[in-house]
Amino acid sequence: MPAFLRRYLALATKEVQQLRRNRGLLVQLMIPPTIVLVIFGYALNPKVRGLRLGVVDESLTIQSRELVDALTQNVNFNVAKQFLRAQDAEDALKRLKLDLFMVIPMDFARSLDRGETAHVQVVIDAVDANTAQIAQGYLQRALDEYNASGGVIRVADINPKRTLNRAAHPAPPPGAPDVQSAYIYNPGLVTAWHYVTGVMSIIMFINASLVASALAVKEKETGTIEQLLMTPAQTGEMLLAKTSPVFVLMMIVLFVALAVGRLVFGVPVRGALWLFTLAGACASLAGIGIGVLVSTISKTQQQAQLLTFFVNPPITLFSGATSPIENMPEIFQKISYIDPLRYLVTIVRGVTLKDAPWSALWPNLAVLAGFAVVLFSISAWRFRKQ
Amino acid sequence: MKKIWAQATKEFALFRRDKLLILLAVLMPIVLMTLAGRTQSLRLRNVRLLVYDYDNSPLSRTYLETYGAALTFNISPHQEGESPERALSAGRGRAALIIPPNFERDVRRGDEPTVQLMIDATDSNAATALGNMAQALNASFAYKSGVSPQRRELVTLDQRLWFNPGLSNPVYFGTGALGMMLIIFPALLGALATAKEYEMGTIIQAYASSLSAGQWITGKALLYVLIGLVEFVICFVLGIFAFEYRIPSDPSVLVVATVLYLMAGVFFGMMMGNATGNQSAAIQGVQMGSFLLSLLLSGYLFAVSNIPPQIRWFSSLLPATHYVQIVRNSILRDVGWETSFRPLIALVILAFLFFMVNVMQMRKMQFKG
Repeated sequence: MPAFLRRYLALATKEVQQLRRNRGLLVQLMIPPTIVLVIFGYALNPKVRGLRLGVVDESLTIQSRELVDALTQNVNFNVAKQFLRAQDAEDALKRLKLDLFMVIPMDFARSLDRGETAHVQVVIDAVDANTAQIAQGYLQRALDEYNASGGVIRVADINPKRTLNRAAHPAPPPGAPDVQSAYIYNPGLVTAWHYVTGVMSIIMFINASLVASALAVKEKETGTIEQLLMTPAQTGEMLLAKTSPVFVLMMIVLFVALAVGRLVFGVPVRGALWLFTLAGACASLAGIGIGVLVSTISKTQQQAQLLTFFVNPPITLFSGATSPIENMPEIFQKISYIDPLRYLVTIVRGVTLKDAPWSALWPNLAVLAGFAVVLFSISAWRFRKQ
Repeated sequence: MKKIWAQATKEFALFRRDKLLILLAVLMPIVLMTLAGRTQSLRLRNVRLLVYDYDNSPLSRTYLETYGAALTFNISPHQEGESPERALSAGRGRAALIIPPNFERDVRRGDEPTVQLMIDATDSNAATALGNMAQALNASFAYKSGVSPQRRELVTLDQRLWFNPGLSNPVYFGTGALGMMLIIFPALLGALATAKEYEMGTIIQAYASSLSAGQWITGKALLYVLIGLVEFVICFVLGIFAFEYRIPSDPSVLVVATVLYLMAGVFFGMMMGNATGNQSAAIQGVQMGSFLLSLLLSGYLFAVSNIPPQIRWFSSLLPATHYVQIVRNSILRDVGWETSFRPLIALVILAFLFFMVNVMQMRKMQFKG
């Protein structure tokens, strides 16, 4: 057996034994992915429903009630309360009892009868810009339908071709082209798929960096690093031995996460599993690299952990795992290219959901591998310098 | 009181020696808050739309222009000979619009030709929004080009967007980010300081001292709450410049809530430290228990009401949920005690709960004095 392999094995055995004794760490590595994935898969939901709508009906006529009915046929609105005065509705909105309210003016029925356009005021609590925008959309759509039907919604008016459409979209005006939307890769529009694949990638990367930095600094803190540096092993071998058990653990975590996604949420694996594995391996190496790098900068475990905490959130935020990169301001989109997690997220989604062609994935894989090599080499170099 | 003070001074002396820690405490909120407020947005922009125009007539080009005029779409031509399926799976676009041959002729005849829109639904939220957007654009094309008869508007909605008239995402995320910043650092410091005592074995001294559990915990927490307050000021100033924060007309609620929130955070961190007695485990606990959960479940990203009711109760166990609500109440809605009363009570209960857990954890080991 060559000498370097012997040395590596000896060191690796030591690490494995240390890890085995550290039950807490093992639990930390295995349990969170499972729980976190399940909670987030269920809980993260940008779909807005059950908006609380207040109605101030000053007109109190058949026409005004018909309008209210037409607008609230939409399942997304719950009529929370009828108010007699606009002032009361305003107060309720300020007390967060309502999400929006509408005021139907006194002359509503009269304007309709005269053939004028009646104005209805809608006040929306827009603090949550996304929800407000969606609420606006829902209202406008319901109103379009009301207008198109001439104020009365008769089932007989709806032509069969349109009815198919109505479930998801309002009917296009007569004569207009018919847009058929096909939602590919996720025809059931399961929200969880997007987040589960994103959170999976985040866990891979961040756990690797946290654990690696903790282990590396511990040696420094307890002073045993001197003993290590005095052994005949090269720094490279030492680092390799130190990180390989973590690496193996991370790969297990990766598959546990995938299994959870598959069993609980039915996330498909349409592409090549080896590609997924390879990307996960590169990402965990890059994560370990960052972890070790951080540990060489800091003197105590405390500092190391804080630094990883400083490094990890930006990596998460820039990766596009939770919100699309295209939505970010230009400058942040550019910065996101130096975020290794971005490439992992692309590959994970590409392999699981899309079966993306190799030609589209290999550049991502190459960059990710590049990150792994560079980060790992820098950390080896820094490690030697101590 | 004196004992608490002594404990706090000791903590401060330890903290002051760590230059990196101080630097991080100041720098971290600024950088992170900017990122957390600016990078997250659910509003679609620059969505690459691949176009397959098989008609190539004046009308089909007008049709495309309708899409191009909306800021949501960024129209890009497809590569020669590449099928839309392949282009989408390669990630070259997020949606593909396919206009059939004879589009113009069919429209003029009133045949209502079918235009296909293939949407990459990996992100189902964005996909739904895109689908709706396309329908709206389609209708507006029909009216503008005179294909469909102008309908008579019976009713129009005059919309008022209160508290955030520009529907600005940074305003929403910026206020949430304040809550995120204040939970990370103080909780982390609390966890580390406590876990360190266990690792170094100095916790025995605390057990053996004449300090009661409550005094020890309060003394330790005091410093971190103060650091949190400094961070609060830093973040608030940043918020005024970057996220349109307005100073509330009645700032007292916000201040009280901040102190309570910081206490809850620090106590939670110390609880983790006590429970694990190991710095790296404590950090992981804080990272999972307070940062990640708060980031995703507190209403920073998605409204709490979107969370399915089965797990919604869980968000109300997070201090961040209540605090973010109070922050938005005070800074954006400018409403006072009346609206924020309930979340405030929740904060009090949570802070007290975490404190009591700490006391119990300590008392188990302490000598009866």
